[in-house]
Amino acid sequence: MYLTDNEKAMLNGDFGEIVQKCMKVLVTLGDIYGAEKMIEINNVHSPGVSYRVAGDAGLNYVKGASLQGCFRVPTTLNTIGIDSDNWEKIGFPKEFSLKQLELVDAYKKMGAFCTNTCTPYLVGNTPMFGEHISWGESSAIAYVNSVIGARTNREGGPSALAAGVTGRVPAYGYHLDENRKGKYLIELEVDLKTDRDYAVLGYYVGQRVGKDVPVFNGIKNRPTLENLKALSAALASSGAVALYHIEGVTPETLTGKVMADNFETFKFGSEEYRKVTEKFNYDGDVDIVVLGCPHCSIVEMKQIAEQLTDKKLKSDMWVCTSRQIKSLADIMGYTKIIERAGAEVVCDTCPILCPTLDKGYERVVTTSGKLAHYMPGLWNVKTALLQLEDCINAGIDGEWRRGI
Amino acid sequence: MKSIILKGRKIVEGMVAGEALVTKEPLSFMGSINPKTGFIIERGHEIEGQCMKGKIFVFPQAKGSTGGSYMLFDVVKNDVGPIGIINIEADSIVVIGAIVAELPMVDKIDIDQIETGDYIILNATLGTVEVQKKEAI
Repeated sequence: MYLTDNEKAMLNGDFGEIVQKCMKVLVTLGDIYGAEKMIEINNVHSPGVSYRVAGDAGLNYVKGASLQGCFRVPTTLNTIGIDSDNWEKIGFPKEFSLKQLELVDAYKKMGAFCTNTCTPYLVGNTPMFGEHISWGESSAIAYVNSVIGARTNREGGPSALAAGVTGRVPAYGYHLDENRKGKYLIELEVDLKTDRDYAVLGYYVGQRVGKDVPVFNGIKNRPTLENLKALSAALASSGAVALYHIEGVTPETLTGKVMADNFETFKFGSEEYRKVTEKFNYDGDVDIVVLGCPHCSIVEMKQIAEQLTDKKLKSDMWVCTSRQIKSLADIMGYTKIIERAGAEVVCDTCPILCPTLDKGYERVVTTSGKLAHYMPGLWNVKTALLQLEDCINAGIDGEWRRGI
Repeated sequence: MKSIILKGRKIVEGMVAGEALVTKEPLSFMGSINPKTGFIIERGHEIEGQCMKGKIFVFPQAKGSTGGSYMLFDVVKNDVGPIGIINIEADSIVVIGAIVAELPMVDKIDIDQIETGDYIILNATLGTVEVQKKEAI
């Protein structure tokens, strides 16, 4: 692959060992995927910041990097494994928490912004249409590629770190026009209303298309930011979708042709919808309600607060969000209402990336397709995927009955 | 002894030999596995309850979380990971993990030719996979 003199110098070790190691990772990736050159970037969102994910291997890798290197471009951090302010109160184990704080410190030392969220696009990291970036966090990748029209591959911790340190990404995959075309056209035969509807759609389609680009046709009402956040997360959980298009909604459908020359078509109707909702459902007691996967927006915080006003929860409830959104929720009075009802507003983390707590939880309800998918394996629980209103009511009643 | 040679693409160089663990379903190293034990924990996954320790891990492609890169690195460092990886199509998340873990890996392999328990000689540097069928061993 072609490298500029500056990039060659990085690879030769002229800028130190860590820059050299990072350049090697990027060149290796570029060679595998046939990149012809590097692209300069100015925006990184780093995954692999939870100690649950990074483990000691990752912690040592980042600590090693932090001794010599720093990020050349603005870099935000993904969700971590604890609430950094409240880990003792919530009951996260001390040993894990201290290792987690060590890992965040290493990234901070490298110059990262400790946003600790899977929704960087809600807290100031908003790339421009067509901008090349290096992002991790599967749900945020699908969101930023599709809804904003920026360009990133699915980056893991080490490659995002390498991009941050060198300010480069190899030019392959979703950075190139030809790989951004739709391989599947999905004709919608149901009306989508709630975030749960979008999560169900995403889960079904992710399973069908794997890593390819789906294009949705026939979405009647304009989706909200929260709808698209839910869709992105589900598509990237049951599958490896990094990019999708919605006819008439997402920007690339407005600026050109999005279908590849050859594509397959399938429908999403009530039968397909039911297949997913049957997989994630149960009758019985609700031990915990989990909202905010991906992290709640301020609009979701408002909706939750409105429905919890003057209510008491029988089940536990976690409302997961970023610290920045929580600050705004504090100002608006939402946090107080949510906490008064008995829920916990959890910042920086989520049940997928925090350690599994020994609280005897067996049954969970959530609005998130991503959480419904991962929690059974990670927490040994059953999950039901419901719309927000039903989740909150189930938490107030302490139980969920299908069909009520 | 009956053996087949499959030719694919080098992802991470190296040569290893061992028993195959095969699934036809995509998998995420974050969420589908326990990094402390190497067992598959994803509910309803075709190989739920099986262990990848010391195996040459054969699956079509990765899915899901980008945490998978460090999780693969960690499971290998914990000595409960696979010794090699064979994919149909290498997803970047696994590739990045394999690069930093220095785990021999190839893709573009017709994995229908491989079954769990087959003995595999993986020469990732050349991109070849020699499959010795278990009934023949």
